Amino acid sequence: MKPYDNRAWFLVLPALVIVTFVGILPLVAVTNYSFQDLFSLSNPYWVGVDWYRNIITSERFYASLGRSFLFSAIVLSIQLPLGVWIALLLQRSRRIVVSTVLVLITVPLVVPWNMIPVIWLNFINPNIGLAGRMLAWLGVGFDYKFNALHTWIVLIVMDTWHWLGLVVVLAYAGISSIPPAYYQAAAIDAASPWQVFRFIQLPKMKTVLSMAVLLRFMDSFMIYIEAFRINAGGPDSATAFLSLDLGEEIQSFNYGPSAARSIVYFLIVLTVAWIFKAATSTRAPVALEPAE
Amino acid sequence: MKSPSALARITLFALVGAFVLVPLAQTIVTSFVSTLPRAGIAEGHFSLINYQNILHSPVLQQAILNSVIYVVLNVALCLGVGLPAAYAFARYSFVGDRQLFFLLLVFRITPTVVLSLPIFVLFAQIGLENTPVGIALVHCVFNIPISIWILEGFIASVPREFDETAFLDGHSLPSFFFRHLVPAIAPGIGVTAFFCFIFSWVEVVLARILTTTGGKPITMAINALFGFRTDFGLVMAMTVLALVPGIAMIYFVRNHLAKGFVIRT
Repeated sequence: MKPYDNRAWFLVLPALVIVTFVGILPLVAVTNYSFQDLFSLSNPYWVGVDWYRNIITSERFYASLGRSFLFSAIVLSIQLPLGVWIALLLQRSRRIVVSTVLVLITVPLVVPWNMIPVIWLNFINPNIGLAGRMLAWLGVGFDYKFNALHTWIVLIVMDTWHWLGLVVVLAYAGISSIPPAYYQAAAIDAASPWQVFRFIQLPKMKTVLSMAVLLRFMDSFMIYIEAFRINAGGPDSATAFLSLDLGEEIQSFNYGPSAARSIVYFLIVLTVAWIFKAATSTRAPVALEPAE
Repeated sequence: MKSPSALARITLFALVGAFVLVPLAQTIVTSFVSTLPRAGIAEGHFSLINYQNILHSPVLQQAILNSVIYVVLNVALCLGVGLPAAYAFARYSFVGDRQLFFLLLVFRITPTVVLSLPIFVLFAQIGLENTPVGIALVHCVFNIPISIWILEGFIASVPREFDETAFLDGHSLPSFFFRHLVPAIAPGIGVTAFFCFIFSWVEVVLARILTTTGGKPITMAINALFGFRTDFGLVMAMTVLALVPGIAMIYFVRNHLAKGFVIRT
């Protein structure tokens, strides 16, 4: 049990001040804008909930919402199992292999986000790109600009390339925190590899994996720069995700509508975080205790 | 679930490695190729011209400097305020601790594009636009939660007796922090610095909206290179340079990379 001491607030105060300044204050400001028509910032005109009504009654909003959910679902169902699988294989490997694979797989994480689509567009270019020429040579009519399915494939492969490393690092962190005694106990009980995974490794990875799910869900749900650069939401709005709509409005300095949209999106984030917290804190621990 | 042989494992790792490296390889190759017609160099042939051009461009060098300034400032800020906060979360319970942790979580996952408009307006009013300081501050919104989260895990793994012994020896809290705690969790500081660094270094939405006319970091300087006749070789050379500090940091923390997330909340 941790001692109860409210003087601890002095220790978190500096962090809270900065977060208030760059997080809470802007949110308060944007809430204020979202109820006004701001042709210029010095000339506000109260419009009440008009902007909100426009957003939640527009078909485009629900279409984008649906596309964003679909994208996140696909991304998670690929990256999570793949990342966990690689982490499980790493756990049985030698140290040098582990650090080599971890170093390699985290390299895409340090690529600036605006350069990721540039690298990939270069890579899939049918005239100069390695992948593009390979596909052309194989006779695949690959056309990421006008074929919606192909645009989706590019985005999903690119996102996996970008973020698989984070899932592997998190999953590996969870696995390597399991004491050897657990495995010895499992060996004595003659547990199958599947049982070891299901009753020892998975429960022990729960905390880090739920964090991986949350981070990957949110980042893919609000994918912006990467998706915009590949095909600007096209073809025919097939890849118009939530953030692209917001980015468009901000770029054209529509203060009121984009403020309302920011608030709507923030409420979505808040809901997701709340569901996440509720789901991870109420679940009873199912860890198999090692036999003494 | 059958356990694959060592050979199958190595083959899979090789495939993963290839998947990561091949797209990057093309970028690196392009950075060593002259992609515009130039006197004396055949287009499409090997050349160091792109890197020479960076050396001769004050704008691009200033961008590299701006990036380094803001990222160093951001990491220092996040470690400076994150360490005491992480210590508070690891060692004490207090009124509202859970709510505060939740708030931090929410700001970590809030997409930057959602905050970009109000931050642009707010920072323009107080004169923090077009400067690396503004970017350093604004990136705290997602990096302070990260630093508190990772540091808390490392501090919690240090037994409480460690603190008590130091206090009995007459150390004050600041002196305990610098003389005992920081050395004890040095790998944790490294891992935290690494994650703050990467998330700040690669962020472009807030960096873009805050540097419309000046103070551009590398990422925005690269954006500015796109135009009617883009010198792709130069773009790729800048991209390769932008990767160097990150890869160096990965190398330094490689053995501790996965330990940062052994968390208990």
